[in-house]
Amino acid sequence: MSLPLLLGGDLDAFVADAFLVGAALFVVLAIALLYRVVKGPTMQDRVLAVNVLGTNTVVVLALLSVGLGEESLLDVALIYALLNFLMAVAISKFTVDRGGVI
Amino acid sequence: MSPGAIELVLFAFVLLTALATAAFRDVLAAIIVFAAYSLGMAIYYAVLLAPDVAMTEAAIGAGVTTLLLLLTIAKTVRPGRDEIFESIHWSGLLVVGAFTTVILVTVTSFPEIGASDAPIVSNPEVSQYYIEEAYHDTGVENAVTAVLAGYRGFDTFGEAVVVFAAGVATMVVLHTEVFTRD
Repeated sequence: MSLPLLLGGDLDAFVADAFLVGAALFVVLAIALLYRVVKGPTMQDRVLAVNVLGTNTVVVLALLSVGLGEESLLDVALIYALLNFLMAVAISKFTVDRGGVI
Repeated sequence: MSPGAIELVLFAFVLLTALATAAFRDVLAAIIVFAAYSLGMAIYYAVLLAPDVAMTEAAIGAGVTTLLLLLTIAKTVRPGRDEIFESIHWSGLLVVGAFTTVILVTVTSFPEIGASDAPIVSNPEVSQYYIEEAYHDTGVENAVTAVLAGYRGFDTFGEAVVVFAAGVATMVVLHTEVFTRD
C-alpha cells in the first residue's frame, strides 16, 4: 500500500484499504486471544476469552462492512453482539450450577 | 488491496480453532473453542460477500449449536479431565490426511472467481428463466422466495416437517412444555 494522497490517487480506495488493513489486524489479535482459549487454565478464562473474541468479531464485521461497502454486514454484527452475550451467559450458568443452561 | 491478507490471517485462525476443537479432551473446553471457530467462519463468509450465510452462521453456529451441545453434556456425563489434550490417533490421522489431499487436488479444477467460462456464466438459461418468469409464475416478487416457496414448495414443506419433528423431540427429551394447562 503506497501513499495515494501524495501520488494523487483515489481517496475512497485508500480509506477502504485502511479499513480492510484494520480488520486484518483485528483478526491477528483474534489469533493472539486464541492462546488464552487453548491455554486456559480454568474454564472461566476460556469463557471470557471467547467473549472477547465475540466482541472482536463484531468490530471486524463492522470494519469489513465499511471496507467492502456492504451495509448488510452490519446486521450480522448486530446479531453477533446479541448472541455473544447469550453464549457467555449460557456457559457461565452451566459452569456454576451444572445442568441449568436455559 | 484485495481482501487477500485478511483471508490468509482468517485461514490461520479457523485452522487453529478447528485443530484445538479436535484436540481437546475436556468436552466443555471443546465446545467453547468450537464457538470461537464459528466466529472465524462468520467473518470468512462476510469476507466472501455472503452476508446471509454469515448471519446463519452467527445464529446457528454461535447461538443454537453451543446451547444444544451444553444441554447435551448437562443431560449426559462429562468425561474426566485428567489430561488437557486428546492423544493423537496416528492411523486415523493418516487416513484423514490422505482423504484431505485427494479433496485438495480437486480444488484446482474449479473455475476462477468471476471467470467468464464458469458454468453459471456461460449457461445463463436456468438462472435467467427464474429471474424473468418467477413473478409471472408464482406472483412472488422476491426471486429467492419464489424458488423456495413456489417452485420447491414441497421440498420446503418437507424441511419444515423435519424441523418441527426435531423441535418436538427436543422438548420431549428436555421435559419442557411450552403451553401449560391452567
